[in-house]
Amino acid sequence: MEAVDANRSMPLRLDSWLPLIVILAATLFARTYDLSHRPMHADEANQAVKTGGLLETGRYAFDPLDHHGPTLYYATIPIARLRGETNLSSLSELTVRLVPALAGTAAVWLLFWLAAPLGRWPALAAASFLAVSPPAVYYSRYFIQETLLATFTLGALLAAMRWWRSGVWGWALGVGVFAGLMQSTKASAPLFGGAAIMAWFVAGGVRPSSPHPWRHLAIAGAVALGVVILFYSSLGTNLAGLRDALLTYGHGLQRVSASTGHEKPGWYYLQLFTWQRNGGLVWEQLGFAALSLAGVGVALFTRGKFICWWAVYTAVVAGVLSLTPYKTPWHAIHLVPGLTILAASALAAVPRRWLSVGLAIVVGALLARQTQLVAFTRGSDARNPYAYVHSAPDVMKYRELVETALARTPDGVVRVIGEEYWPLPWYLRGMPRVGYWSSVPAECDGALVFASATFADEVRTRLRGSYRENYLGLRPGFTYVVFTPQVLSEQK
Amino acid sequence: MIRHPLSLLFVTFALFGIARAEDLVPLKLDLPRPLFVGTPKPVQLANLEKARTGRRPDFMVPAGTVNLAKDKTVTSSDSLPVIGELSFVTDGDKTGTEGTYVELGPGVQWVQIDLGISAKLAAIVVWHFHSQARVYHDVVVQVSDDPEFKKDVRTIFNNDDNNSAALGAGSDPAFIETYEGRLIDAKGAVGRYVRLYSNGNTSDEQNHYTEVEVYGQPAK
Repeated sequence: MEAVDANRSMPLRLDSWLPLIVILAATLFARTYDLSHRPMHADEANQAVKTGGLLETGRYAFDPLDHHGPTLYYATIPIARLRGETNLSSLSELTVRLVPALAGTAAVWLLFWLAAPLGRWPALAAASFLAVSPPAVYYSRYFIQETLLATFTLGALLAAMRWWRSGVWGWALGVGVFAGLMQSTKASAPLFGGAAIMAWFVAGGVRPSSPHPWRHLAIAGAVALGVVILFYSSLGTNLAGLRDALLTYGHGLQRVSASTGHEKPGWYYLQLFTWQRNGGLVWEQLGFAALSLAGVGVALFTRGKFICWWAVYTAVVAGVLSLTPYKTPWHAIHLVPGLTILAASALAAVPRRWLSVGLAIVVGALLARQTQLVAFTRGSDARNPYAYVHSAPDVMKYRELVETALARTPDGVVRVIGEEYWPLPWYLRGMPRVGYWSSVPAECDGALVFASATFADEVRTRLRGSYRENYLGLRPGFTYVVFTPQVLSEQK
Repeated sequence: MIRHPLSLLFVTFALFGIARAEDLVPLKLDLPRPLFVGTPKPVQLANLEKARTGRRPDFMVPAGTVNLAKDKTVTSSDSLPVIGELSFVTDGDKTGTEGTYVELGPGVQWVQIDLGISAKLAAIVVWHFHSQARVYHDVVVQVSDDPEFKKDVRTIFNNDDNNSAALGAGSDPAFIETYEGRLIDAKGAVGRYVRLYSNGNTSDEQNHYTEVEVYGQPAK
């Protein structure tokens, strides 16, 4: 099978665009519906608080130790301003999560064009699969960098594909912009560039049609560098950020080579895309995986360069991610675009249209059903393989308790004493007289005291007042003891 | 699971008059093995009640006391649980692994056991979910002869300190789930139906029941 002419297969009539418009509308709906319902994960909360700081003060400095690149924070600012949110207190879950949601929607549009060489209807099928993919939907509703990185990667690949075929320097410029955005989003960006180049070699790629390929590549490189400098220097206000952008690789190497508690077996990602049962709930993408595997067969059988490139690219990314001991489920979204195009190529190879359409509908419906479970019904359930070390729904109860305590004790202090307390700083944002201690302080009394279960005994011995005790969860396996002054409780 | 037919022994002793009804004997419980699935997380949990060393102290009950709930009919506010069956609540299997607990939906939910006859209750032991340390919110246990729980309801345990379950505020302590289950003193409450409420837990919004045992003697 060889790629078909994308332009010839894409008529410009409005009715011919209707399916894509419907898919994009469904994509946007799946990524924005009830966006505030799921509790904030500790990582989301951490980054949202950082964004709130940028929103309030206009200042940001790249942190090479515990954070990724700056694009996520900067991308949130215009949305927050449009929604009238000007500081951390007013910043909302909906606002911050709109950033990955919109990026995730754009990814589906980009994938449609990337898959266009397969023909119009397989490209629509590929876009549909990405639209309802469980990890893609889940992490498009999740305020971390991964969806942004995946979208920028698709943008870079599309621009590269267009440049390769047309030789127009504007597409090279596009490659530079997207590559710069990738690097400014996460330090792992070079993995995808490397995989793309390796796939080109293995697939026996053709030469670019540009008469000045090196000149164009130089333009792309310069633009990418400019974008990287712009973001990591915090728009020119923090030049140390450029040094830190390099230092982050040292910290990253330590993370992937040392024991961090996130080590998982080599088949971890494979299992995410096949089948697993956990606590009575089944998580599977067997139909989609089978169709993608058939796409690999198509690539091997037809030797078509386009589909071979995607097969090798996806295999390289999957191989590197699987061989790296440090694994988290959000990395899985980088495998989804390749798998969708492989699945679409399998559909394109089916001789009967009705059969391939039927297959696409069945596989799409199975994916959508899983997505409902993953992203909506069980969004924060510990058995959900994508809800990784997720916050418990209890975290949404803390704020009301603090508001009540502070209202009844106007000069009182609320103490959060625990070795881990995220995402509580997000839920208690903007509240006065709330302090956080990572070890037990000498003075523990307060209008309300939250002590992690580990510290609770020590806190109890240091409390001078009389307190009623109860529990609230932070996440599965991590619980806080809530000490409420007896006087306060008696008034209730 | 190791099973001991201790309940039958009690019945046998009672039938042959070896022990008089008013004599007190330790309540014997058949406990599942401790179960913490997967790699333990680096967290330790404190108990609201002072952490106990060693086994739970004997709970004294009248001789002839038996588990009246075994294999009895269970109903629930969630009549179609997504995971498990309501019959798991009284089937005697307390291992806590998948296939031994029933999962009810989020929010305030209850299970109700029909003991078949009105009985004088000595103790109720509940295992919600013990493969992970967690605390169930608003645990309320009531006994009544009315299956609708509208009249003559006696509350024997209530740790809903802010009345969020709308059953009245209670002052009993919250507790962490363990393989031992939570033993609740029924204080001789009399009733045919036992209803247990909960309102999610510190890990998720769902409500789980691995087993409920109701110890007592038929009311005279």
